[in-house]
Amino acid sequence: MSDPVPLTTDHPGQVASATPPAPGWSRRLSDRWLTVAFISPALLLLLAMSVFPLLWALYLSFTDYSATRGGSAHFVWFENYTAILTSAQVHQRALTTLIYVVGAVTLQTVLGFTIAYLISRRTHGRGLLTTLFLIPMMLSPVVVGLFWRFMLDAQFGVINSMLGSLGLGQVEWLTRQQTALISLILVDTWQWTPFIMLIALAGLTAVPKYLYEAASIDRASEWFRFRTITLPLVWPLLLIAVLFRAIEAFRLFELVYILTSGGPGVSTETLSFHVYKVAFLGFNTGTASAYGILMVLIVIVLTQLYLRYLNKLKED
Amino acid sequence: MRYPKRLGRLSAAMLLATAVAACGGGTEASAPKAPATIPELTKDPLTLSFIWFEWPPAQALEAFANAEYTKDRPNVTIKVNTVPNANWHDAIFTQFAAHKTDFDIPILDSQHIGEAVTNGNIVDITDFVKQNIDVNAYNPYLLAAYGQFPQAETGKRDENASLYGLPLLGDTWTMIYRKDLIGDKPPQTWDEMIAAAAKCQADNPGVSGLAFHQANGSDAAAVTYNTVNGVYGGNLWDPKTRKIEGVLNDAAGQEAMDVLVNKMKPLTATGSGNWFIDEVNAAVAQGKACIAFNWIAASGGLLDPKQSTLGTTREEILGKLGFATLPSQKTNLVPLGGMGMHVSAYSSEANQAEALNFMKWFQQADIQKKWAAAGGVPSRTDALESPEFLNAGPFNKVYADSVPRMRDMWNVPEYARLVDIENTNVNAALNGAETPKDALNDIAKEQQAVLDSSGSKGGGGL
Repeated sequence: MSDPVPLTTDHPGQVASATPPAPGWSRRLSDRWLTVAFISPALLLLLAMSVFPLLWALYLSFTDYSATRGGSAHFVWFENYTAILTSAQVHQRALTTLIYVVGAVTLQTVLGFTIAYLISRRTHGRGLLTTLFLIPMMLSPVVVGLFWRFMLDAQFGVINSMLGSLGLGQVEWLTRQQTALISLILVDTWQWTPFIMLIALAGLTAVPKYLYEAASIDRASEWFRFRTITLPLVWPLLLIAVLFRAIEAFRLFELVYILTSGGPGVSTETLSFHVYKVAFLGFNTGTASAYGILMVLIVIVLTQLYLRYLNKLKED
Repeated sequence: MRYPKRLGRLSAAMLLATAVAACGGGTEASAPKAPATIPELTKDPLTLSFIWFEWPPAQALEAFANAEYTKDRPNVTIKVNTVPNANWHDAIFTQFAAHKTDFDIPILDSQHIGEAVTNGNIVDITDFVKQNIDVNAYNPYLLAAYGQFPQAETGKRDENASLYGLPLLGDTWTMIYRKDLIGDKPPQTWDEMIAAAAKCQADNPGVSGLAFHQANGSDAAAVTYNTVNGVYGGNLWDPKTRKIEGVLNDAAGQEAMDVLVNKMKPLTATGSGNWFIDEVNAAVAQGKACIAFNWIAASGGLLDPKQSTLGTTREEILGKLGFATLPSQKTNLVPLGGMGMHVSAYSSEANQAEALNFMKWFQQADIQKKWAAAGGVPSRTDALESPEFLNAGPFNKVYADSVPRMRDMWNVPEYARLVDIENTNVNAALNGAETPKDALNDIAKEQQAVLDSSGSKGGGGL
C-alpha cells in the first residue's frame, strides 16, 4: 500500500505547484498575466475615477481654463494659488469653516462620548438604544437639511412653535448672523454625534473588565476609574473618530446649500461652498481646481500631523 | 522586480491617453447658425426635450405641447425636464460645458443669454427669425429681451443685432393686496404702498405688512433691490461704458436701498429673510401678509381653495385678494421676468430641426392664444390683448399693462457672478449682517471688479 495522501499542508503554495496547470493555459495565461487580468478592473476604475481627475485638476490649477468658455488652457503657473492664498474672501470662508469644524466636532465628541459612556453602563436594552441613536447617521444630509429647514423656519417651524408654547420668543435660526452658523453646527451635531458614539462605544466595550475589578478592590472612586482607566484606553480610538469627523466637517457643503445658501450674506459660506460658487457660477475651472487642490493639501498636512501625534500617543 | 514597473508604465500610458482625450475637447467657442428655412423633419418617433426649473408653468407647457403640437407632429413627444430653481443655471451650463446636452431646447433666463452666446452653446437663429417669424407682432423689447445679444437698450430692440431665442413665457412682478384689509383700490405710489402696509400691519396683529423675495439663492434678493432701484430712479449700470461703481450706488441707488432695508423690511414677518417665491405665496395663502410681491407666473396657486385659508371657493378668495401693477414713484419701471426658448448647439440635426419647427409653431397667433388659455403668458401683442389671455387669470391684465414698463438686468457673460454678488449683499443688508450703505457700495465695487477683470489671467472667480 502506498502512503496516504495528506489532506492539508502547512505550505499552501506547495499544493498549487503539486498540480501543474494544463499545458495550453500555461502558455497563454501565465500567473503574471492572470494577476494583471484580475487587478486591471480595479486599477482602471481607480485611475479613471480618482487618480486621473486629481492629476487633471492639478494640471488645470496652473491654467486659466474655463469649462464653458472652451478654447485652450493657458498656463498662469502659480497665479491662481497666489490669488486664493491672498484673497480676503477666502480668508473669511476659512475662518467660518474653522469655527464650524471646531464647534461641531467638539460638541459631537463631548455628546458622543457621553452617550456612549452611559450606554456602556447599561446591561439591558443596549442594542436597541444604540440602533435608535444611529438612525440620524443613516439619513442623507440633503434630507436632513430639508426637514431641519422646515423645523427651524421662524414662522412655520415646529421649533419656534415649541418655544412659543413655553412662552419664549421667536428665534430667527437661519436668517441672523449670530444664529445661522450655530444652527448649522446643531444640525450637523444631531446627524453625526452617533458616529462618535459608535466608535467610543467600541472602545469602551474593549476595556478589559479585570482593570475595573482591580480598581474596585483598591476602592478607587468612579472618577478615578474613569480618569485612569477608561479615558486613556478609549482616547486613541476617539481621536481617530475625531479625525474622520474633522475631515468630513471641513468639506461641509450639503447642509450649507440646503439650510442657509451661505447666508445671511456670506456669513455661513464654508470653503467647499465657496469652491462650488467659483467653479459653477463663473465656471472659473482653473481657479476652482487650485482651490480644491489647496483644500486637499490642508487636509493631508493636518492629517499627517494628527497621525504623528496618535503614533506618539501609542508609543507612550 | 520587473512586474510592478510594467504595471506602472501601463498606468502611465492609460493616464496619458485619457489626458490627451480630455484635452481634445477644447475648441474655440462661437455660436453656430441655424438655417433660414427649417430642414426636412423626421418621420421617425422623436422626443423633443426641454429643460426648465420646477414650477407650475413647466407642467403646463408639457401638457399643452403634447396636446397641441402633436396634432401637427404625431411622431413627436414633448418632455419638459425640470430641476430645482437654485440649480437651474448650473444644470444647463454644466451640460454645455460637457458639449453634450440631454435637452434640445434650454429655457434660459434672459440674463443667461450672454454667457450661452459667448460660449457658443446656443444656436444663432437670426436668419430663421427673419424668414419665419412676424417680428412686428411683438412689442420690440419683449422680442429683444428673450433673444437679442448684445443686450438691447431698455424698451427697444436693435434690428441689426443677432437673435438667439424667442419668447416662451412672459412675466413680471404683480402686487398682491388684501382688499378686505386695505381696500379695493391698490396704492398708486411706492410711498402709499408702504404707508398702507404699515397701517394694515398695525391694525391686524399677526399679519405682516409686506412679503417679498429676500433669499440669497437664485436671483431673489437681487430682483427685489433692482425693482426698488428702478422705481426710485436708479440704474444698475451704464452699459456703454460698463460702469457700475458710481452708477448703482449713486444717490438714487442709496435711497432705494434705504427704502428697502429701513422702510420695507421692518414690515415683513420675523425670519422672512430667506423667503422666495413659495414662502411669499404661502404667507399670502395663509392670510399672513397685507401686501406681497411675486412673479405673475407663480401666482396661479393663490386662487386654489385647497392651498388657501382665504376662502373655500375661487370667487371667495378673489373677494379678498387683489392683483395690481407695481406702484410707481420716481419712475414706473417694473422687473422683466420670464424666459425664452433657445436651441442647444449640441443637439442632433434632427432634433435641432424639430426644435426650430416647434418654435415657429409656438409663435403663431392662434397657438399663442391657446397657450394663454392653458395658463401660459404669451408675448405676441395680439395674444396679450385677446380675451383668451385677459380672462384666463385676474393677474393677466397686470402683465399686459406692465409690458411697456419693463426693465431687465445685465445679460453679459459674467451675469451669474454679478447676480450672486448682488444677492448675497442685499440679503446681508436685509438680515442685519451689513449696513445698507456698505452693502450697496460693496455690490458696486465687487461687480465692477468682475467686469474689469474679464479676460485677466489667474484667480478668476474670486
